[in-house]
Amino acid sequence: MAVSLVVIGGGLSGLAAAIRFARFNPNVLILEQHSRSGGLNSYYFRNNRLFETGLHAITNFAPPTDKRAPLNRLLRQLKLKRDQFDFHEQLQSEIIFTDTASLCFSNQFELLKSEIESAFPSARTGFEQLLVLINGYDPFIPRSFVSARQVLIEHLDDQLLVDMLLCPLMFYGSSVANDMDLGQFVIMFRAIFQEGMFRPGGSIKDLLDLLLATYREYGGTIRLKTPVTRILRQGKKAIGVELGSGEIIPCDFVLSTIGYDETLALYDTPSPVHKEQQGRMGFMESIFELPVNSLPAGSHNRTIIFYNQGEHFLYQPPVDSVDFRSGVICFPSHFQGLTEPQTAEIRTTHLASYDQWRVLAQDREAYLKAKTAARDASRVTAEQIIGGFSHSLLFEDTFTPLTVERFTAKKEGAIYGRPDKIKDGVMGYENLFLAGTDQGFLGIIGSMLSGVSMVNQHILPKT
Amino acid sequence: MTRDQIKDLILDIIADIDDEADFDTLKSDQPLRDQLDLDSMDFLDIVMELRKRHQLQIPEEDYPELASLDSCVNYLEPLLKDA
Repeated sequence: MAVSLVVIGGGLSGLAAAIRFARFNPNVLILEQHSRSGGLNSYYFRNNRLFETGLHAITNFAPPTDKRAPLNRLLRQLKLKRDQFDFHEQLQSEIIFTDTASLCFSNQFELLKSEIESAFPSARTGFEQLLVLINGYDPFIPRSFVSARQVLIEHLDDQLLVDMLLCPLMFYGSSVANDMDLGQFVIMFRAIFQEGMFRPGGSIKDLLDLLLATYREYGGTIRLKTPVTRILRQGKKAIGVELGSGEIIPCDFVLSTIGYDETLALYDTPSPVHKEQQGRMGFMESIFELPVNSLPAGSHNRTIIFYNQGEHFLYQPPVDSVDFRSGVICFPSHFQGLTEPQTAEIRTTHLASYDQWRVLAQDREAYLKAKTAARDASRVTAEQIIGGFSHSLLFEDTFTPLTVERFTAKKEGAIYGRPDKIKDGVMGYENLFLAGTDQGFLGIIGSMLSGVSMVNQHILPKT
Repeated sequence: MTRDQIKDLILDIIADIDDEADFDTLKSDQPLRDQLDLDSMDFLDIVMELRKRHQLQIPEEDYPELASLDSCVNYLEPLLKDA
């Protein structure tokens, strides 16, 4: 049977795109290779407990009254109500550059402003001018690359402050090494500093279940464990997809959310139009589960800590398997109004080298050893910053770029995708489009808006 | 449909998009977007709902005709005369 729209990938951008389409036409099918939806933001079970794979915090918090905020636009587009969700705002987060400076921020932007004023008094006027620029900038107008680093240093005239502001924005959504496009910087600055961070009260599973239930209510269909092996094309049109089983599904439109290069790999004759200029950013993530009363003092009143111990902040694929000099330490139980759990998690993230882990993986035992050693090194680094917690660990787990690649099929396990984005979502075919990570919007709200806006722009008006 | 019915239809669709939309101060000759704080994404909902409810196919080049309540009514009146 032919379907109107095939969505490849049941991650958050695919789910949002499919719900958006299903609101007006239920003949939509999501094809997900994994046994669970969610993509990068999914979950797994160990010791009868649910662990989230990717979620630290959701960016883009907005009060219900701010109708133009990305979060509220997204909810309207999907016809979801705020009260269907249980949102919890962050406590306070901190950017710590060891032995140099620290800046706290929360969902009240004034906090960051006053922190900068007291730590960097000479940058005060420059920061205000930067805010004028940010507030007046339309990041969605197509233009060529403008270096955010350059603009920041011109305004702030302080390398340390520039690095400190870039650190959280890069860790939470930059696919590019050491610099960001100004437009992307503006999007991330708004999402993290001006809007802020929150998370759902339950787990990511509750959010995914709600989205799936909404989707099914509109009549949409999802097939799990169903990898697409080919996109069938005729001239400038996609005419259907072929599944791993050999089954062929004819369709009117295809929306791929699996990445640009990953989508090209589904053509019989891959012909990349957009060449990759530089390497992809890989990450290592560890989870440490411990009794809630064993959380160290440094976690008190903190939701997320972004740290750097190096002389300069380097955001680039490391030479070694992992670069412990910088990273993220997250306390997922530290959001306002969450009922205190019995056990808490500490999650750490560092830049990691896909290539190095690939080499290690040639010897299974060496790979597992390196994984444990890297987790220990990550824990020791975190303990230097927040205090000790190694004595009471209940469970530990680590994802390398290879783990991410295996479970999400993201090329090189690069969670933020290729460095160069395909912002218009156009793949060179009249009815085949790209949404999600490689279209350019990142984070949960960003990727969902990506799915929605590609359906709005390219598909709904033409059905 | 009469002009008033078309007006009600549009307002009903908008209320469905944003249940807190304030119609009391709405000026029918002014752009809906600015007055109701809607964006282009919301706007597409009006087009899609008209299609769903009345099988109207509004071509993309005609979207500007739906800018204000008055222009909506003017544009839709001949299309919905038998509805």
